Amino acid sequence: MEQLDTPFLIRLFRAVALQLEEHREQLCALDGEIGDGDHGTSMANGFAAVARLGQRPETRALAPAAFLRQAASVFLGDVGATVGPLYASALLQAAKLYDTRPDLPVEELALLLQALTDGIAARGKADPGDKTMLDAWLPALSAAQQARGEGALAADQARAAAIAAEEGAQATITMIASRGRAARLNERSLGKLDPGAVSASLILSCFAELLASPAPGPGEA
Amino acid sequence: MSGSTPRLRSAAGRAAMDGSPVRGPLRYGDDPLLWASWLYYEEGLTQGEIAETMKVSRPTVNAYLAEARAQGIVNISIDGERLRSLSIAKQLQERFALAECVVIPGAGGERSLYDRLGVASAQALAWLIHSGDRIGITWGRTMLAMANAVRISGLKDLRVVQATGGTTAHIPYTPEACATRLADAIGARCIPISAPAIVSSPEIRALLRAEEVVAEQLGELAAINRIIFSVSSLRPSSTIHTSGFFDSTLQVREGYRTAIGSLAGRFIDAHGVPVPGPLEERTIGISLDELRKVPTRIAVAGGTEKIPALLAALRGDYVTVLITDSTTGEGLLRADGVEPTSGMGARRHPDAPPAVETRSRIKKFLNDPRDAVTESLEGALAAYPGFITPIDGNVRTIAASRPRVPGKVGLVIGGGAGHEPCFLGYVGRGLADACVVGNVFASPPPDRVLACTHAAQTGAGVLYIYGNYTGDVMNFDMAAEMAKAEGIGVRTILTTDDIASSPAEDHTSRRGTAGNFFVFKVAGAACDRMLDLDGCERITRKANAATFSMGLALEPCSLPETRRPSFRIGEDDMEVGVGIHGEPGASRERLVPADRAADRVCDRLIDEMGLKEGGRVALLVNSLGGTPMMELFILNRRIHQRLSARGVTVERSWVGHYCTSLDMVGASITMMALDDELLDLLDAPCEGFALRVGG
Repeated sequence: MEQLDTPFLIRLFRAVALQLEEHREQLCALDGEIGDGDHGTSMANGFAAVARLGQRPETRALAPAAFLRQAASVFLGDVGATVGPLYASALLQAAKLYDTRPDLPVEELALLLQALTDGIAARGKADPGDKTMLDAWLPALSAAQQARGEGALAADQARAAAIAAEEGAQATITMIASRGRAARLNERSLGKLDPGAVSASLILSCFAELLASPAPGPGEA
Repeated sequence: MSGSTPRLRSAAGRAAMDGSPVRGPLRYGDDPLLWASWLYYEEGLTQGEIAETMKVSRPTVNAYLAEARAQGIVNISIDGERLRSLSIAKQLQERFALAECVVIPGAGGERSLYDRLGVASAQALAWLIHSGDRIGITWGRTMLAMANAVRISGLKDLRVVQATGGTTAHIPYTPEACATRLADAIGARCIPISAPAIVSSPEIRALLRAEEVVAEQLGELAAINRIIFSVSSLRPSSTIHTSGFFDSTLQVREGYRTAIGSLAGRFIDAHGVPVPGPLEERTIGISLDELRKVPTRIAVAGGTEKIPALLAALRGDYVTVLITDSTTGEGLLRADGVEPTSGMGARRHPDAPPAVETRSRIKKFLNDPRDAVTESLEGALAAYPGFITPIDGNVRTIAASRPRVPGKVGLVIGGGAGHEPCFLGYVGRGLADACVVGNVFASPPPDRVLACTHAAQTGAGVLYIYGNYTGDVMNFDMAAEMAKAEGIGVRTILTTDDIASSPAEDHTSRRGTAGNFFVFKVAGAACDRMLDLDGCERITRKANAATFSMGLALEPCSLPETRRPSFRIGEDDMEVGVGIHGEPGASRERLVPADRAADRVCDRLIDEMGLKEGGRVALLVNSLGGTPMMELFILNRRIHQRLSARGVTVERSWVGHYCTSLDMVGASITMMALDDELLDLLDAPCEGFALRVGG
């Protein structure tokens, strides 16, 4: 059975880095409207650093937990700011999951999403509806769990999660930020997408893309 | 809603001097237009009466009045705020297919929004309810305010039915209170629900609902033809929380992850779809399906924190009549993707370019903008080697040059760059031991904070002090966790001096701005006196609690990487309540002279601090970067006048660039309320390159 193993995570982070690089300007512009304008830069730079880590030959030999711990450290050291601690905590929480479940079949995708979401939630202490990245992560997680409960394949779980994340990100338009710098704007933040939720939905779209296509053969990744 | 307000402007002598065709008898001076207008608009005389008084013909009076309008002596204007409310009401009505919509002005008077909405809805009830109606009512502050304001008599056979069971009696606005007051005020019979809104189990609910009295009451509830309710957000201070619906926030998070608001004690998501959750089977009261079947569904709610919940209620078709305020109404439209239009085009479109011509690119002394922070720090280190030195060669982590004092609590401060001389200017004897620097306006990562922690600690523990921002809190917290894992005791104090960033009841979520100056100084002195970690923490918290700031901006700042203004502002505007990250303030107001600007801030600070005669303060008038000393002194002069007039003593006063926001033109005013202990610590000697006190 196909696994959510280190090669998978390496491919994932590479896809995420490309996706975020493509949307760097857009994310910065969104952030400029309600925050301090660095979201695209922080996210693209942070995941680029993680992707570079994945390209190192010695990384491929690492167990997922060890790789994720290194990824968290690289991401945080490169970024700081607000997203640094949030995604570093997500990656560390995922590492803890792999400590107990070294082999994670693709059908257990929801467990990985749960760990990532829990890490963000525990660090950011935001509530649903606060106009943050959690407003994409939480619905994505619920959708994946529900699909898993209905016995859906990994590809379908990931697609459901990506769709829910996209909808969740769109819904942030109706929310008033109550965390982060945008919170000071109060109702001035209405009608704007939350950049953190948008970048989260980009990440989840990468899960869906990767799991929709069959895994490449050895040496291809 | 809209009243005409004629205003008279004196134009004495104008008609005569410019050879105007209309002339009146001399006894009215040279300006019969003014007199005719005065008598007509202010005294309320008819044109015939005026003709008699002025001894002219009636057609002449008519001509005077027309000419007065034409010359601008009389201006007839409709209150723009009211007109705007009207146009927002129309847009809301169309957008959400409402039968009626009432929008009151967003700001006005001393009364709370609850009270103002209560009065508006009380007036609306006069045309919304009729003899024979059965009216359901929920609970909450708005509902009680409405019930208290209603004055309707002469209707017959009314019934008011409590829409849910009872709640905790710790609040004055219980379902019982709201229903009883409303019933009394309109001469209706009141039908309570003799059961709690939330019971401990579905079984108990079934038992209670089967009780004859309760069953009969619920039968009445099922027959209502109108319901009045408010909408609650799920914020910690919302009615749904204060009413004791949740035993813990955990319950909300787990059972109501997708819920965004509540009405009548039930929960809905962003689309208005009911979210059943763990309380659903334990709730006694009208269900959402039942609510939606009531023909007239009147929602009364306002406040920006309620916008997502209210929008969900509108989308879910729970509302046929909406009563709100213009700020909330505008927010609803914007959240639903509509840009609200103003009544007379009086309000500028927010994205419209300002009338004033601005350069798009700001000139700066930079090399590669990405190197700006590092190069700036290198320059600072070169200037002040006696004060600051890099830790392990990393210019982003800076320690005091003098050796650590064993047994002294270490003090670490820091945050994003762009606030110079904050934070590195406050490193030195009697101040911080180390400071950590991030990118422009961005928190430093935890590894750097940890490096500073190592440099500052000598075994007595370490104090972190920094401004209350999400990113800084997370990065410093992670560093604190790592430090604790190494056995270093760390205490964190967030500065929260900016009164414009959150209301007083939510003061812990305020951001830290120039008040850092006083908090760092006092904390540094406490550490220097070799107090233990508890003692240093106590004094620092006290200093922070005594420190209050507010900022004004005249021009935005520009980041090194973009070199563009962070926001646009017209030539007659100022931003009130700005922070130190180039962001707009809490509100945009007309530019006023320096004394009025100082008064604007003084009034807020005096209220907030409760400053009375005999009070003592320390004062900091701080440039946000682009405002010169000359203007700071002008502000300082006025603030001293104001405090002196109030009998408040300014014990210590600083004026200058102490905590900036790059090149923002503007100033902040900070006051720290003093007692002997704080003044003593303020006077303790210290040596940072930005602040020196004593020997």
